[in-house]
Amino acid sequence: MTLANDTTLDARFTLTVGSPSNPFCLEAQFQLDRGLLVLFGPSGAGKSLTLAALAGHISPQEGLITLAGQPLVDTRRSIHVAARDRRIGLVPQHNSLFPFRDVRGNVTFGLPRDQRRSRNDVVESLMDELGIAHLADARPDALSGGERQRVALARALAVRPQLLLLDEPFASIDDAGRRALQDILQSILKDHGIPAVFVTHDVDEARRMGQQVVLFERGRTTRQGRPRDILGIDRKVSITGQVVEEVEASGADGGDATQTIRLSSATLTGPRDSLEANEQGQLHIQAELPLKG
Amino acid sequence: MDTELGFSFMLSMRVATIALLVVTVPGLALAWLQARRRYPGKVLVDGLVLLPLVLPPTVVGYFLVVLFGRRGFLGPSLESLLGLSVIFTPTAAVLASAIVALPLLVKTAQPAIENVPVELEQVASSLGLSPVALFFRVTLPAAWRGILAALVLAFARALGEFGATLMFAGHIPGKTNTMPLEIFAAYQSGNDSLALTYVVVLTGLSLLVVTVAARMSPGTSNR
Repeated sequence: MTLANDTTLDARFTLTVGSPSNPFCLEAQFQLDRGLLVLFGPSGAGKSLTLAALAGHISPQEGLITLAGQPLVDTRRSIHVAARDRRIGLVPQHNSLFPFRDVRGNVTFGLPRDQRRSRNDVVESLMDELGIAHLADARPDALSGGERQRVALARALAVRPQLLLLDEPFASIDDAGRRALQDILQSILKDHGIPAVFVTHDVDEARRMGQQVVLFERGRTTRQGRPRDILGIDRKVSITGQVVEEVEASGADGGDATQTIRLSSATLTGPRDSLEANEQGQLHIQAELPLKG
Repeated sequence: MDTELGFSFMLSMRVATIALLVVTVPGLALAWLQARRRYPGKVLVDGLVLLPLVLPPTVVGYFLVVLFGRRGFLGPSLESLLGLSVIFTPTAAVLASAIVALPLLVKTAQPAIENVPVELEQVASSLGLSPVALFFRVTLPAAWRGILAALVLAFARALGEFGATLMFAGHIPGKTNTMPLEIFAAYQSGNDSLALTYVVVLTGLSLLVVTVAARMSPGTSNR
């Protein structure tokens, strides 16, 4: 087995959870060189379970996980590094903050007592960068969803992790707030040079965030590549000189619903959720494969 | 008579307090184990923990005598090795109270610990906390109401323990005569007014303790 020297995270493992009568098997294989890796797929495909294995909260039955050349898990050599020794930051979707601590207490939670003072500057500038400096004394239950996730991010970064794991961190935040947080996260990761694994089931978020995307389907990682190769291209196309004459939907809502758009001299048919037309004759096409040209 | 009542009251308080101290660490560890871990035989452990709650206390007392009595399984070796004789001593009263208090402690603390979001513990361990630090810095601060309620209820149960104590510690005036035993003795000898005095004291004390526990319970707070 040879690995390129710049591989930060290498994961290839299997694990089974659930009861013997109703098991869920996960088979994961992916690499992260630098930047942000998106784990994308529908709910229940095994993304969060993969994150739990990377964090060390669940142990793979077979396989290996290496981070910066060091094994975190190697089942052949019976290596299982404990979660607390992995130096991996975690930002969960829900219940991310300690309710019994104020914002500053949350951000400094992972710092050893003797470092809280010496690293005060780092903490202050992190809170500044994330726009939560003015909330230092606030209690978590007084914060908005977006503010909570900013605090959770600051807390994870304050201990200078080797890797950051984010489990649908912005899923319960409104669109505008999510965009802002996506931008902040990207610039912070870049500035601090911290690699990250980001779980989402939202295709737009996957496109925006990932330099690399891993596709999850029913407990397996099926493909890894650039977002445009894995997720297809989301492009708004204007067709000049054409008038939308009729939009016709057929089939029940769900997997096999299709949409047919009749133009002056052409007809487009495709899955309903990937084909839209508005009254100005603009078409919204989500293509599975990259469009040429 | 006043000094007898005073002795009995203080003995009961002392026995219940030490019994609580004895069960706190194993009880909370068991509650955490049952709330957070999956392991083979978990159901059996659950049953064993509940047993002292559903068995007649006399049965618990009988088991203790079989274990720690002069001709019991552990009694003779304890006596020859450490010179300790447990049966018919205040220590026996503590042991009896501790065992009947344990299920109440575990079964009240367990849901409180279960209610602490597992994400908080995962974040904390990823931030480098050891399991012990995690308990004191995350689980306890997040579940303190339920855990305090569990301790208070366990104390109340230990305070009122009668059957197992009578079997294992006996009713020895000036040595093992806790308030519940005194009530029975006074009633048997026809001293109804003395029995009533103990009854009033014990009822008042238990009511106070249980009211405090109810106020502490999660879900009944005014948050």
